Amino acid sequence: MNRLYDMEPRVMDDEMLKLAVGEQGPREEAGQLAKQEGILFKDVLSLQLDFQNILRIDNLWQFESLQKLQLDNNIIEKIEGLENLTHLVWLDLSFNNIEAIEGLDTLVNLEDLSLFNNRISKIDSLDALVKLQVLSLGNNHIGNLMNVIYLRRFKALRTLSLSGNPVAEDEDYKMFICAYLPDLVYLDFRRLDDHMKELAEMKHQYSIDELKHRENLVQARLEDEQARREELEEHKAAFVEQLNGTFLFDSMYTEDVEGSKLSHLPGVGELLEFTYKDKFVIICLNIFEYGLKQQEKRKAELDNFMECVQEAIQENQEQGKLKIAKFEEKHLLSLNAIREESELSNIEAKIVQYSEDITELFNVLMTLEMQLMEQLEETINMFERNIIDLVGLFVENVQSLYPFLEDPLGRHSCLARPWLNSGCTMAQCRDLENHHHEKLLEIAINILEKIVKGEMDEDLPDDVRSLFVDKDTIVNAVGASHDIHLLKIDNREDELVTRVNSWCTHLLDKIHKDEIMRNRKRVKEINQYIDHVQSELDSLECGDLLD
Amino acid sequence: MVQAVLKATSSLDSQRHARMEVLKEKVEEEEAAEREEAAERAERGEKTKRPMEVRRGETTMTQEMLRDLERKLSEIEVSVPEKILTFTKDTIDTSKLPLSYQSNTLKEEHLLQVADNFSRQYSHLCPDRVPLFLHPLNECEVPKFVSTTIRPTLMPYPELYNWDTCAQFISDFLSMVPLPDPLKPPLYLYSSTTVLKYQKGNCFDFSTLLCSMLIGAGYDAYCVNGYGSRDLCYMDLTREVCPLTMKPKETVKEEEKAPPKKYAIKPPRDLTSRFEQEQEMKRQEAIKAEEENRRKQEEARLLEQENAKTDPLHGLRVHSWVLVLSGKREVPESFFIDPFTARSYSTQDDHFLGIESLWNHKNYWVNMQDCWNCCKELVFDLGDPVRWEYLLLGTDKPFLSLTEEEDEGMNDDDDVENLGKEDEDKSFDMPPSWVEQIEISPEAFETRCPNGKKVIQYKRAKLEKWAPYLNNNGLVCRLTTYEDLECTKTLEVKEWYQNREDMLELKHINKITGLNVDYFKPGHPQALRMHSYKSMQPEMDRVMEFYETARVDGLIKREETPKTMTEYYHGRPDFLSYRHVNFGPRMKKLALNSAESNPRPMVKITERFFRNPAKPADEDVAERVFLIAEERIQLRYHCRSDHITANKREFLRRMEVDSKGNKIIMTPDMCISFEVEPMEHTKKLLYQYEAMMKLKNEEKLSRHQAWESELEVLEILKLREEEEEAHTLTISIYDTKRNEKSKEYREAMERVLHEEHLRQVEAQLDYLAPFLAQLPPGEKLTRWQAVRLKEECLNDFKQRLIDKANLIQARFEKETQELQKKQQWYQENQVTLTPEDEDLYLSYCSQAMFRIRILEQRLSRHKELAPLKYLALEEKLYKDPRLVELLKVFV
Repeated sequence: MNRLYDMEPRVMDDEMLKLAVGEQGPREEAGQLAKQEGILFKDVLSLQLDFQNILRIDNLWQFESLQKLQLDNNIIEKIEGLENLTHLVWLDLSFNNIEAIEGLDTLVNLEDLSLFNNRISKIDSLDALVKLQVLSLGNNHIGNLMNVIYLRRFKALRTLSLSGNPVAEDEDYKMFICAYLPDLVYLDFRRLDDHMKELAEMKHQYSIDELKHRENLVQARLEDEQARREELEEHKAAFVEQLNGTFLFDSMYTEDVEGSKLSHLPGVGELLEFTYKDKFVIICLNIFEYGLKQQEKRKAELDNFMECVQEAIQENQEQGKLKIAKFEEKHLLSLNAIREESELSNIEAKIVQYSEDITELFNVLMTLEMQLMEQLEETINMFERNIIDLVGLFVENVQSLYPFLEDPLGRHSCLARPWLNSGCTMAQCRDLENHHHEKLLEIAINILEKIVKGEMDEDLPDDVRSLFVDKDTIVNAVGASHDIHLLKIDNREDELVTRVNSWCTHLLDKIHKDEIMRNRKRVKEINQYIDHVQSELDSLECGDLLD
Repeated sequence: MVQAVLKATSSLDSQRHARMEVLKEKVEEEEAAEREEAAERAERGEKTKRPMEVRRGETTMTQEMLRDLERKLSEIEVSVPEKILTFTKDTIDTSKLPLSYQSNTLKEEHLLQVADNFSRQYSHLCPDRVPLFLHPLNECEVPKFVSTTIRPTLMPYPELYNWDTCAQFISDFLSMVPLPDPLKPPLYLYSSTTVLKYQKGNCFDFSTLLCSMLIGAGYDAYCVNGYGSRDLCYMDLTREVCPLTMKPKETVKEEEKAPPKKYAIKPPRDLTSRFEQEQEMKRQEAIKAEEENRRKQEEARLLEQENAKTDPLHGLRVHSWVLVLSGKREVPESFFIDPFTARSYSTQDDHFLGIESLWNHKNYWVNMQDCWNCCKELVFDLGDPVRWEYLLLGTDKPFLSLTEEEDEGMNDDDDVENLGKEDEDKSFDMPPSWVEQIEISPEAFETRCPNGKKVIQYKRAKLEKWAPYLNNNGLVCRLTTYEDLECTKTLEVKEWYQNREDMLELKHINKITGLNVDYFKPGHPQALRMHSYKSMQPEMDRVMEFYETARVDGLIKREETPKTMTEYYHGRPDFLSYRHVNFGPRMKKLALNSAESNPRPMVKITERFFRNPAKPADEDVAERVFLIAEERIQLRYHCRSDHITANKREFLRRMEVDSKGNKIIMTPDMCISFEVEPMEHTKKLLYQYEAMMKLKNEEKLSRHQAWESELEVLEILKLREEEEEAHTLTISIYDTKRNEKSKEYREAMERVLHEEHLRQVEAQLDYLAPFLAQLPPGEKLTRWQAVRLKEECLNDFKQRLIDKANLIQARFEKETQELQKKQQWYQENQVTLTPEDEDLYLSYCSQAMFRIRILEQRLSRHKELAPLKYLALEEKLYKDPRLVELLKVFV
């Protein structure tokens, strides 16, 4: 391997690259042109740098669109400096002194990788190369056959060479690879026949089945997670994530030290568990469902709007295209006519007429665009009003600022009603909490009285008993718990409201911005076109005058 | 038995009598009205006659008048009456008809009596009506009741299962013979078998046959004896529009307008004057109304002209047709079928002027309703005895609709009658048909029309039909449409073909424009679908359409004019959709080359492409124009979805040389481009150069393809001409009769089978038979006899073998002797022989030697085989079942 060490290592500098690019560029006439113009590194598609005695890969960051890179027969020791070459399809690093596979994490398009004749001892760090089809790792130091299992993740891998490695001496080598990489077609440049594959499969069936089972499990878990994540995403889009369970209720009690202490009181546990929690969760669920429904509505509204806008734009574009097509037809005729006309006065008249045509086209196109802009503006405003209304309604309903709940009697009526049928508002949560608080307070005071009277038979834990020193303490404790609960509910509510509002503003902002962008672009396009036509006419004029 | 039946019918008669009395008054009134009408009609007839007489009286003989008359007469076109088809008894060979044709059974006799009785009562009660058509004579002069002439038969051809195709078949299969007396039903009604045999008949024959087949197929069908219009009776379709010329009505689909969406943009404000619009609209409407008026007037005038000829015998012409009642075979509404034309008419149609009676294979009904308004008010409720008088009781009534039943429920008499009917003896019903089973041979079925040809004259159209394979060019149908009513100026000709090898299906010739359009079925060697042309010369106006899925290049259509050629493609991998080639005038070359190798120079090639979804829109060429003469290439790219303008690029291919004499490869002004969103790399000369080089190549390719297209046109034209000349017909492999190959093969197979059979018979030849024959027959063999038999048999065989050997030996010796003689002769005359004789001798020698050698071989072979054969026979004899028992013990 030291064959090249007797020579001076060379640096990959600009000069070397230029030379290589120039040599490998286009030939003959095209080559002359290329020389005349110079070739930009970023336009180069393939580069060959073999037998250059390169020690370090460097200065390649300009070759953005490079697809094929040959760096074989150098003295490279480390794979580096290839991060920018994301379009690379073919990379040849054979006959170098590389010791570890690294620095390939950005080359997602790589299909053919050759690391033949290096010093690699472990197959590793190839995860990003999802399109890998050909992998050449012959004449390396790979010693562990189990390392091949790593290659199972490359579904497109068809050709593999590992000859000349210590693993290849293993008598089971071929069978093992055949069994663990069933999609492989060529191993060490030889085709794997079906008979061989069958044999290998039979031989390693048990271990492979186990492996497969494990892989399937992992796959299933990943999918599961993915599904859950998507669901959560969906709920988040509806701003009601985690309201479809006890999450909010649990969070109320996690930070609430007093509350958890108080729950040990006789009677409180049941109250908490059966009446309060159940009702609370039902309300949460209702909110959740309502939120999803509202989300659907908003989505439908948005889709409808987008569709209509698209249609309008499409129609307008069609009109514009038609106008331009008509103009072009005429334009061709008149250009020819001007060219063929010999009389100067006629030419002038025609040119004048033609430029009039151009102006008219410009006016027509601009009118169309202005018209569309006005129409779209109107529609967008309408959508804005509607979506704001929708969001407002949603927020209002969730917060429940309905008059009947503010009504002092409303609470009682609410309490009297079975919770199942009631609405789905945060205010109800708060009411429920208030109600619970009252009950809790009542129980606590009762117990305090009992304790004071010494009638308390049951044993209370010490930290709970310590609360029942006097009325103030217990009331404070209960109050603190209540405050925490209310805070939690308020926080959740605030979060929901802010997020839905910010979503709304963002959406509207985006729509406005998009529309403005569209308009600018169209106006620019029209201007450009008109300029082009005008310049064509001008050049004709010049030409005529010169003639 | 007969007595009882007679009694039953007589009691029935009395009832009927009572009912008829009730009816009689009404009928009489009607009859009176009819009579008046008839009288009027007669008067009218006279009136029409009178002017003629007057004219005749006035005519005095002056020269001028004579000339005048002559001129007038010469103007009148005397239409020579066609040779009227007759179908009389004389032409029928009655000798071979079965017995049921030549005599009546007892039951039939009785039926005739019943019918006579009925007829008598009928004529008594309704003396003004014409006598009933009950039992005409058949081909053997035997009176047969009409119902028994109907022989319900289900034909084995699926095509005859539905009424429309069935009626069409009968109208094609039989040729029409008018009634001997148009005002009376015929005296004779032949059996359907005879009618089918001679393939002609009158309307009664037609409807009887059709009725038999329809009833067989499950329809509720009836033969009707009534009165029809003149056109109907003479199968005159000249006033009808040909159904083939009628264009299918375009069903204008009302486009469902989607409800305006919530956010649909508002249309820009309309700034035109509404008043002006309204004025304009009014003006337009006025013009339209005027046109409409004129058109209507014109139509009315034409109609009047056409209907000018009225029929003096209107309403008196007897006709027979078929009535199909609703109910069975999912027929939703009752209708008439005219058996001559196979057309169906509603029961309200103007052509049908009245019904006397109708019958099926079970019963006979007389119409008691008034036909003053044609058949428009007739109710076909055959269960209603007031409207329809039945002949036989007991056969089930077709139906009695519910409302009628309720109506009758009001009437006590009818109720009683109904009850009585049900109690009545049902023993007498219609005897089975005397007609033999109706059969149509497959050949006759395929030939369809008599002699395989039929011509129908429609209004301004003539339709000719032929049986398949009758014309050797496959022509099966020709429709000629004319401009005028007299059918002298041909407008267009449509010809339908079948079984053509070139898949030609329809040829449409427009005589006015001279445009020919050929339509092909899938399967033409060049995938041709349609070819429209005025002349078969190349480089003329023509359009060819193709089955694009059958073609490799996806060509749909190719249009040609003398100067251009346009091709349309679909589904090509290079997304080419259109190619238009302009040709310049042909260069005058020295006449060394033929015309084919001197193609016209192409001036301009325009190609358009579909959008290639794999490329971004602004790199995907939508149209490229090669201006070959100007050495320019224009490119227009596809438009991006959010843009209204598209990229354009124009290359000037001019090669220039700069001041120093160097070739200029590429200069910026050789490529003028407009880009919607300018990109950097496209500005580079290198890019443009490469693009231009590519285009140059593609131009060459396009030119080549255009040239190939031209060649293909020539080829197709040549092929078409050849096909037209040859017009070979294909024969299905299932067609056993016409497929010569399969016929030969089948015959060969049969022959092989036959030979096989013969060989088997031979193999079964009994070698013991001659010896067994010597023994007394019927006795069992004794062992001694068996042994003797065997010995004899073996001896005989031995003798034969020896004889054969001797024979061969004798022949061998003879040959040798002859040869020796010849040789001797040759040696003697060797000197004097001519070379010819010598040749003759030599050839004789070689032949003789050959014969001798063969004989020698045969002899040695015989010697070899003879003992084997002998042993084989011995073995066989031991195993012979007749001898085995006896010989076994012996051995």
